[in-house]
Amino acid sequence: MYTLSEQQIDFILNDIKSRGVVMEDLQLNLLDHICCIVENELNLDDDFDQFYQDIIPRFFKKELKEIEEETILLLTFKNYYTMKKIMLISGIFSVTTFLIGSFLKFMHLPGASILLFLGIMTLSLLFLPLMFALKIKDVNTTREKVVAGIGTLSGMLVSISILFKVMHWPFANMLGGCALFVFVFIFIPLYFFSGVRNPETKLNTIVSSILFVGASGLLFTLINTRPAQQQTEVKMYAYLESEELLKRLQNMTYKVAITNTKQQLIVSKINDAAEQMKSLIMVRTTGKSKVSHDFENEDIFLEERNLGPAFEKGQEGALLYAQFKNSIEEFNLLNSKSNELKIPTDHFKEGEIVLYNNFVVLDYITKTQMYVATIENSVTAIK
Amino acid sequence: MHNNLMYNCIMYSSELIKGTLKTIVLKLLSQTNQMYGYEITQKVKELTGDRIQITEGALYPTLHALEKEGVVTTEIVNIGKRVRKYYTLTPKGKLKATEKVNEFAEFIDTMKFMLDIKPQIS
Repeated sequence: MYTLSEQQIDFILNDIKSRGVVMEDLQLNLLDHICCIVENELNLDDDFDQFYQDIIPRFFKKELKEIEEETILLLTFKNYYTMKKIMLISGIFSVTTFLIGSFLKFMHLPGASILLFLGIMTLSLLFLPLMFALKIKDVNTTREKVVAGIGTLSGMLVSISILFKVMHWPFANMLGGCALFVFVFIFIPLYFFSGVRNPETKLNTIVSSILFVGASGLLFTLINTRPAQQQTEVKMYAYLESEELLKRLQNMTYKVAITNTKQQLIVSKINDAAEQMKSLIMVRTTGKSKVSHDFENEDIFLEERNLGPAFEKGQEGALLYAQFKNSIEEFNLLNSKSNELKIPTDHFKEGEIVLYNNFVVLDYITKTQMYVATIENSVTAIK
Repeated sequence: MHNNLMYNCIMYSSELIKGTLKTIVLKLLSQTNQMYGYEITQKVKELTGDRIQITEGALYPTLHALEKEGVVTTEIVNIGKRVRKYYTLTPKGKLKATEKVNEFAEFIDTMKFMLDIKPQIS
């Protein structure tokens, strides 16, 4: 049996490394294997170098690296199936949640937001990246890989920006703009020029590119901000005018002497809760508790959005609303003799307050205060 | 008879061996306590009278994949200046070995039927 010297072992190990085998595990396995072959098959007086050069081709067809490549392929092959499975499941999941979410949204039923959120998040953060990871295994050229990568990125951006838009979250328009920019000015040209050169894919590429441009044009029209901003400004002015009207009504009322102290107490409770709720809503949307008529110059923008967590069960807003509601009921009880002297409470029949958007609630609160002021007025006028 | 003799003498093609390599390795490991790479190739050669020669290029990738799947565990032993990796079946690997052998036995039956191979009269 031939005995290998330390130098010979080092030589073999270095040769394995220099032939491109990087995985340490594999290096050690191959080293031991080659040593075993040498020890078992080499005669004591034979030439080691010559023998080594003779046996090393047994390990590969072209180069030793093949073993490592094959190993990596086998190791990732299993992942490939898991990834494919996760991709399919996440795809089905996001489509289902998206469909149910849209239906609920359409029917104004609770749970729509969370389902849409889950659906779009799964689509953009799980399904699309996985699709990309699986896709680049099939394409060969760097160009195709880049096209797939940018396509995935813009797809993720577009869907996330739509989510932001639907949820009335900040920066939705900015995100949408970025997404469309990447899609229209980077992805479509790249896709078009890489596909149009190949006669086989030429027609398909042209048709798809036209569809992409059309779809992004529609999307652009949809997220275009100008009309929405104008409408919001109109709504803001309408709200500020209601506030002004309320102020004038209250001024009229409270100039008259206070006659019914019990009623007066309830009225101040209603107005307290109302003012606190309004400033809570304002702070959430604009950062300020009051908005003046000069809001355009002050660059304050009261975007139409939901009331947020402050109005969820048990939170500050919800408690104020409960106090507001109770005081109104108390007020109505006190004036139960005449319907003219009651505050309309039909709003109370409809679900929880957190489901409504800020403009609706602001409008409702202000109107209620106006009713209170008007009733007060008429009562004192009678007297 | 002449044909049969020739059949016995040749080495099987690598395509045939490739699909059965996992089964062969698992079965060998289930019969012994632990083995290392070179030992496996020699054992297969010995058992099949040189008709099946596992190439190193196929064996090591398979062993690494089996390790990743948790079918085998490894133990590293120092042999002078180098190390040797011994492979042992895990309980999961033992089940897998039986499963693979049974699957292959069924496969042989199916292939016999499909290719219409008559049992040879000795």
